This record gives sequence, structure tokens and C-alpha cells, in this order.
Amino acid sequence: MTAVTDPMSLPAAGAQRKTPKGTFDIVFRNASLLSALFVLVLLAGIMLSMIIGGWPAFREMGLGFITSSVWDTQNDQYGAWPAIVGTLSTAFLALLIGVPLSLGIAVFLTQLAPPWFKRPVSTAIELLAAVPSIIYGMWGLFVFVPLFAAYVQQPVSRIVEGMPIVGTILYAASPSGLGILSAGIILAFMIIPFIASIVRDMLDQIPSVLRESAYGIGATTWEVVRHVLVPQAGVSIIGAIMLGLGRALGETMAVTFVVGNANRLSASIMDPGSTIASRIANEFNEAIGLQLNALIALGCILFFVTFVVLVIARILVARVKSF
Amino acid sequence: MLSTLELSPQTLDAEAPVRIAVKNLDFYYGEHKALKNINLDFRDRHVTALIGPSGCGKSTLLRIFNRIYSLYPEQKATGEILLDGRNIISNDIDVNELRSRIGMVFQKPTPFPMSIYDNVAFGIRLYEKPPKSELDDRVEGALRRAALWDEVKDKLKSSGMGLSGGQQQRLCIARTIAQKPEVILFDEPTSALDPISTGKIEDLLEQLKTDFTIVIVTHNMQQAARISQYTAFMYLGEVIEFDATNTIFMNPHKKQTQDYVTGRFG
Repeated sequence: MTAVTDPMSLPAAGAQRKTPKGTFDIVFRNASLLSALFVLVLLAGIMLSMIIGGWPAFREMGLGFITSSVWDTQNDQYGAWPAIVGTLSTAFLALLIGVPLSLGIAVFLTQLAPPWFKRPVSTAIELLAAVPSIIYGMWGLFVFVPLFAAYVQQPVSRIVEGMPIVGTILYAASPSGLGILSAGIILAFMIIPFIASIVRDMLDQIPSVLRESAYGIGATTWEVVRHVLVPQAGVSIIGAIMLGLGRALGETMAVTFVVGNANRLSASIMDPGSTIASRIANEFNEAIGLQLNALIALGCILFFVTFVVLVIARILVARVKSF
Repeated sequence: MLSTLELSPQTLDAEAPVRIAVKNLDFYYGEHKALKNINLDFRDRHVTALIGPSGCGKSTLLRIFNRIYSLYPEQKATGEILLDGRNIISNDIDVNELRSRIGMVFQKPTPFPMSIYDNVAFGIRLYEKPPKSELDDRVEGALRRAALWDEVKDKLKSSGMGLSGGQQQRLCIARTIAQKPEVILFDEPTSALDPISTGKIEDLLEQLKTDFTIVIVTHNMQQAARISQYTAFMYLGEVIEFDATNTIFMNPHKKQTQDYVTGRFG
């Protein structure tokens, strides 16, 4: 036991804490409380101003604002239906394409890849996640869209023309390369890095003894992944997918470049359409009067749709967890 | 000499055929040689314990028998391990099929994220497609063998993760024996369990040796003395002494073995 050389370093027995420390504590507590309150105020402020800004459009159009497909700035008639459908369908297509690819990437990286290959692919995924969306948009418009028109839209349209159902869904009236499917594919590229890297981390966290015991009773890699690892990471995978979905729903620039920005609703995913975010981005500059109110109302709807998706995700996660 | 160890009168059949024969086995983690020239015979339907201080290579040896080490590319084994005359560490062995014949129970319970029933049925379904009624019977049989049936028979559809640690470990044993393996490897199966659960697992091992060849790695010398008929003492990657358990604990030939089993080092 060494002697305490500095008598000030230890408080005397029974000594009271001095006020300067107490004051700091109170300031600190209130400052962090204020920061937390700030978030609530900000959210409430945004919601309130959106509702106030959008209210004239809802009042003028009534329920028709949601169900109508007419977007006529000349006659001040606004209906959000095509944009809502466009938002949901591009996001859905993005998940349809992106989720299997992301899971494949994550499984390959954690279970199959030799170490020398794992590092560069992991880094590439993280770099992809950092690419700004405007770059995806430019690349999509100038590189992807022409190729997509020449090698996918035109041949597919020729094949499916006149066929029932697929002849409607996959037929491009004017195969320009722009359209709902193009936007969905670009969105898929954008969400893959997110979902893949989260799922990869989740799979890496599974204790190796669980993996070994699954292999230990003679399961193949596919069976181990399908029946043990993916269900084990289940909740987190759903969370990762929802995060990707959230990004796909709200993504603006890249989609605006490639979706075609058509105001009408088409039954074909090869045809141009629009999403809520792309409609707002396109028209905000010149919008006045009721048109501006309609755009803000669109924003409200996007907010609501995203909120509903988040709630559904929470419910799903809670249900899986309780098993 | 070892008054603290209770040695149960183990009947061992010196005529029992050799199930697994290890010949001149070396094992490497990358450059590091972890096992040196191992030679051991494991007799059919006997319990063989591998004991030794941490890092002596006993778990490493166990993990070679069902080729778990093959999951890690930097690990490799040379020499021979003959199971019914076939060298299981050669490259032309179907590893998955081998693992269905040599089951393994791990240090920590590892229930799969599925129902209790599916946990037990999982291994069966990998290689066989029995009709529902037969599958039901085999699941029930395995759970009974693992002394778990009475505790879970009313909740077969609920998750295996919801069981207690000891129950989970017995579930893993049920999952292993449901596959009807020839050999079962136990890697310190009770080290994460409380004494009551440990007792149940030891009773179980006693039952299982009538049907299976068992190899168990344990840190617990009383456990090795209680349940095994043969014991191998390992140190620094080598087998120092291998003999009948009674001999190892009562009358070892090597000084190192004696020091270890009497607790003088380890």
C-alpha cells in the first residue's frame, strides 16, 4: 500500500460535494433534456406545417386527391393516385430485386468467400453505400437507360406483345428505357449495399458454435443457411429490409432521373410513371397557389406511407421476436 | 490413492472391436502444429474420455473426427483416422454423410431457431424422408432417450430456444441420437450447466453407451472417472498415456498423468 502523496486527491471523510459540480449536473441534465425535446418540437413543426400547407388541396379535392389520377395544372385539378402507386411499385420492385441479391451477397461473404476475396467485396459494398444518389441518377440516365431500352425493353416488348397479362404488364409503348421498372432497378442498386452490409454483420454475429453444430449433423451449406442462420438472424434481416424500403420510398434524385415523370398511370412497369418524391422535385420550382398546396399534400402522404411502413415493420419484428 | 474420486465399477470388454483407429495423426492450425503423432483406438460401445489441461489439443482431436475443422481452410490434418476401415480425413470422403454418422454435442447448447419437434426432426429429414407417423415415433423416441420427453411433450411446437440450459443440451443430444449415428462426440457437454443438469446428462451418457461409441472431452476429472471406461491423457498436443480409466486414475504409469489426475498441475 503506497501512501497518498497529494492530500487533495481524496476528499475528507464525510465531505460534501461542492456546488460547482452540482450546478454542472443540473445544466447538463437540462441541456440533454432540451436536445431530446428539440427532436419532438422539430417533428411536430414539420408535421404541422405540412398539414397546414397541404390542407387547401385536401379541402378542394376531398378524397379525390388520393383516388384521382388527374394532375392538371391548367385547370388546377390534382390527384395523387399515380404518384402513390408509382412510389409503392418502384419500392416494391426494388425490394423484389434487391433483397435476394443482398442476402446472397451477405451469405457468400460470411459463409463461402475465401478470406482474400472477402475484403475487397466488403469494401466495395461500403463504397457503394457512400455513392451520392445524384450519381446513381446520372449513371442511370446516361448509361443504364439506353442499354435497358435496347437490350431489355425492346426485345421483351416484341416478345410479349399481344399476350394476355404479361402483354400488359411488360409491354413498353415507347421503349425509351425510362419507366417504373428502370427506377425500381436503380433503387435496388441503391438499397443493396445497405441491406447486404447489415445482414452480413448480423450473420457474422451468430456464434460459430451454432453454425458448427448445424454442419455437425450433416447439413449442407445451403441447409445451414436456410434453416439455421437466416432464421437465427431473422428479426434483424427484416429490420434491414425495412431500412432499405424506407430509403426506396423516399429516394428522390435518382428516381426523378429514370422514372420518366409521366403524370398518367400505366398498367405496364415498362412505361414511364412518377413517384411522390419525383413529382415534388419536378414541380416545386414553378408551383404556385393550389399546385403548391397539392405538392405539400403529396409530401404529407409520403410521410404517412413511410410511417405506416415503419409501424408494420415494428409489428413484424415484435411478432417474430415473441416466437 | 485417489480417495476423492469415485470410480464406478466400469465393465470394459477388451474384446470389443475398434470403432475408430487413429494412426500417426498430425494436425495444424496454419503453421502451428497442434497435434503430434496421435495414435489411439476407440472401442465400440465404450466411453472414452479425453482429459488434459487447457490447450492440450483434446478438443482439437475431437473436432477432427467429424471434420468440423474442414470449415476452416487454414486447418489441416495428416495421417489416418479409420472408421470401419475408411480413412475419414481423406479428401474423397462425403463430409456431410460422415457427419450424419458421427454426431457431436457441443460445449454450449445449440438449439436451432425452430420448434422443439423440428429441432429433433431436422437431422432425420436431412437424409431420410420417413412418413409422418414414423417421424413422430423417432422424435418421441429420441426425446425419451434424452430424458426430455416428459418435460416437453405438451409443447413440441414451441421454440427450442425457450427451454432452460440443461433442457436445451438434452434437446441437442436428442437431435444427435435421432439421426442414429454410430459415434457421438461430446465436447465438454456439461461445462455450461448447473450440477443437477450435469447429473442428468451423465446418467444419460451411461445409458447411451449401450448403443453408441462415445468420445467425451472433459475438464472435470471426476466426470471422466465416473462415466468413461477408457481415458486418454493429453498434454501439449501429445497423448501421454492411454489406458483403461481405472488404470489412468488409480495406477498411472507416467508421472505427468499422475500429477494431473491428482490435481498437482493442470
